[in-house]
Amino acid sequence: MTEDRIVITGTGMVCALGKTPEEGWDVLLSGKTGIGPIEGFDAGGFACTSAAQIRDLNVAELGVHPRDARIMDTHSYLLMKSIRDAFQQAGLDRTSIPREEIGFFAGMGMVDYEVEDLLPAVVKSLDGRGHLDYSAFYSQAYTEIYPLWPLKMLNNIGFCQVATQLNIQGENTVFSPHGDSGAMAVTEGVKSVRSQRAQLVLCGGVSEKVNPSSLARAHLSGILNTVDPQKGFLCRPFAMDRKGTVLGEGCGVVALELESSARKRGISFVASMTGYGCSCEITSSHSGPTARAVSLAMREGLDRAGLKPSEIDLIIAHGDGTVSGDRNEIEAIQDVFSDCLNQIHIFSSKAALGHLLAGAPLIDVILGVRMLTEGIVPAMPHTSPPDPSIRFHVVQGTSLRKDVRRILINCQSYEGQAASLVLETVNR
Amino acid sequence: MKAESKRRVVITGYGMMTPLGRNTEETFSKASQGMSGIDTITAFDTANLPCRVGGQIKDEWIEEEDAQTERFYKFSSRGLRLMRKATQEAVKQARLEEITHRGRIGFSLGFHGESPEVQDVMFLHRFYDGQGTWDMASLLRSGGYSYLNFLRRKPDVATTILPKIFDCRGPNLTIASACAAGSQAIGEGYRLIQEGKADVMIAGGSEATLNFMGFVGFVLIHALVERYPTPQKASRPFDRKRNGFVMSEGAGAVILEELEHARSRRVLMLGEILGYGASADAYRITDTHPTGLGATLAMRGALEDASLTPEDVDYINAHGTSTTQNDVTETRAIKEVFGQRAKDIPVSSNKSMLGHTIAAAGAIELILTLVGLNRSILLPTINYEFPDPKCDLDYVPNEARTKEHRIAISNSFGFGGQNACLCVGKVEG
Repeated sequence: MTEDRIVITGTGMVCALGKTPEEGWDVLLSGKTGIGPIEGFDAGGFACTSAAQIRDLNVAELGVHPRDARIMDTHSYLLMKSIRDAFQQAGLDRTSIPREEIGFFAGMGMVDYEVEDLLPAVVKSLDGRGHLDYSAFYSQAYTEIYPLWPLKMLNNIGFCQVATQLNIQGENTVFSPHGDSGAMAVTEGVKSVRSQRAQLVLCGGVSEKVNPSSLARAHLSGILNTVDPQKGFLCRPFAMDRKGTVLGEGCGVVALELESSARKRGISFVASMTGYGCSCEITSSHSGPTARAVSLAMREGLDRAGLKPSEIDLIIAHGDGTVSGDRNEIEAIQDVFSDCLNQIHIFSSKAALGHLLAGAPLIDVILGVRMLTEGIVPAMPHTSPPDPSIRFHVVQGTSLRKDVRRILINCQSYEGQAASLVLETVNR
Repeated sequence: MKAESKRRVVITGYGMMTPLGRNTEETFSKASQGMSGIDTITAFDTANLPCRVGGQIKDEWIEEEDAQTERFYKFSSRGLRLMRKATQEAVKQARLEEITHRGRIGFSLGFHGESPEVQDVMFLHRFYDGQGTWDMASLLRSGGYSYLNFLRRKPDVATTILPKIFDCRGPNLTIASACAAGSQAIGEGYRLIQEGKADVMIAGGSEATLNFMGFVGFVLIHALVERYPTPQKASRPFDRKRNGFVMSEGAGAVILEELEHARSRRVLMLGEILGYGASADAYRITDTHPTGLGATLAMRGALEDASLTPEDVDYINAHGTSTTQNDVTETRAIKEVFGQRAKDIPVSSNKSMLGHTIAAAGAIELILTLVGLNRSILLPTINYEFPDPKCDLDYVPNEARTKEHRIAISNSFGFGGQNACLCVGKVEG
């Protein structure tokens, strides 16, 4: 008996290159990069002044009540936009699935407070010499803070607002804020559908907003390219001269359900999620998972999908462009795929879209779906020669035409977690 | 249809730190005497605030002096310290140190990171012109905006640092779903063991929001109690005069372990997780669904997962926050799920004694439920004085009750509308 597959029936994606999966894909394919000088605040004091930011997101079209908008920020809008697109594509606005049968899982990045939100209260409690008068603050000035401000700080609030707007009542959890948390959301979603706790699940991942706090955090954790801030392509995954990563903003959401459910509802699908795996072991330098953890995650994903390494056509790597992160991933890939390295192609979306942390895994799943349908792998835009230790093919310079049928996707967090997902075309 | 081969998950250790006590034994013993852990807040100045009470943990309970601790303290927030203490107790009870395969032990915690402090904002203010321009160079040069500062704010700080301290290299999850986080973390940990991803999971949650910025937010939305005769009487779930919750700090940790794994170690099995359910209200951010829809779905989900019916449940550990809204909707939801039987099932709220420990609540309350189950004691809902016609169940008022019971559920409903319910029982068969 063939197993009822878990298929992707909807996608939504917002990234620096576009506000829909189609737009993002087309621009990516044209060889553009979303990475550019940071806008929105003066990043001049930072050693890295570039990021792949979202520009001109039309918030008005999301139909958010002004009351709710006050406790929303970029991350909430990204999630709302992506999920509405996935929702529509999955036909949820047309066919009815009981609301309690729709599950919702998301990886949410850090939600930083904006100093502006608290500043009026502080300014109001300054004494004549510009020092903070605590009694003034505690007695009166604190009322300057918008009452719902604390809710804005909760990692799950954007998630709950989206659930409310779309009336999603099923199983749910917010994973936060590791770089692999989007992959955890997909994994949970697959399990939920598989065990029929939900008929359909929406799985998402949202990046952090690029602001002074997130930039400073990334800078201080030593992951950014701070060496050549002005030079061409800053994030160069797997390149010999890679110098670090660059932050990106964005969000991806996929709708997953059993093939039988999609057929019954008359919704089309092109891809199936067939494997997942994860492992956790941090390097001694605290810079991410060890090569062993990355290998274990990939092997588990392949096992679950019932595939041999040689059956994989493409790896969408974590490839964040950091020296040690890429080194460990190269080692792991060359270990797991040692028998078939010459046929393996590697792509990393971070070269053009930056590192979306919790949002990265979903972006890669959605780009992967496009690669399965279009039979083409976009090129990473940089032209630096690959790391000399590499024995597989890195897709850069020009895009690759290839009948891609099975993709392995790698995700990592700097806290030592590695996760892998396996995506397959449904026309085997 | 469920696969018959599902692995069973038992509990082999637990630990907690609450306003009532520095461990499970002390907390349970005081709770069974109906004592309150709530008092006037001393951690910060509450002079002009409408709510001045909370459930604080004594500083000396979390102070320790040894070399490892000193290094740890440099990175740690208060919530992390609480979590570490609770984990220590649980790990010791379950004798986790004897397990050699550390890659099969994981962590799943509900945690939120720390609120910014007034001092932080004040400090930042010096480098900001108020119009969007930062003097980042000076700010970074000042050294005051350190990585440690960010680390304290990150929800994943506990799941990054504790696995190193306790040498656990298995799956690692951080759940940030407000008041449901602790329960969801345990639920997700339980599932990871069920499916074979781990043999042991350290699961639970921690919260330390009793600082000004953490507290004032809840003051501003009027979620906290504002009228109370004494601090000890402020938290009064299901009582007609309830008017808001009491904010508390605390942490709870349970050791979840696969049944055969626990048997082979001959470790004492303290209970079994029978089911887990989660749902979303999809109603409003600040209000619960008026008919308790999400709560109903979560309870039904947990029972279904456990392959049990409402007939099988002997005790309900309520979310029972003491807000006007929650206690009514939770009562309605219980009636919806349990029908005619609702009035015969004892329901009680530990928050009457402990206050609301947010991300820790689900874990602490599950443990107290389990201890009660093993000792045949139903913990009371204290401060129950004025019956509310809308809340008309058996809330085990004011005094603990001795009663044999086998199967219980524990509810956690979060801000924003995320809900979770765990079903536990004695280890049988």
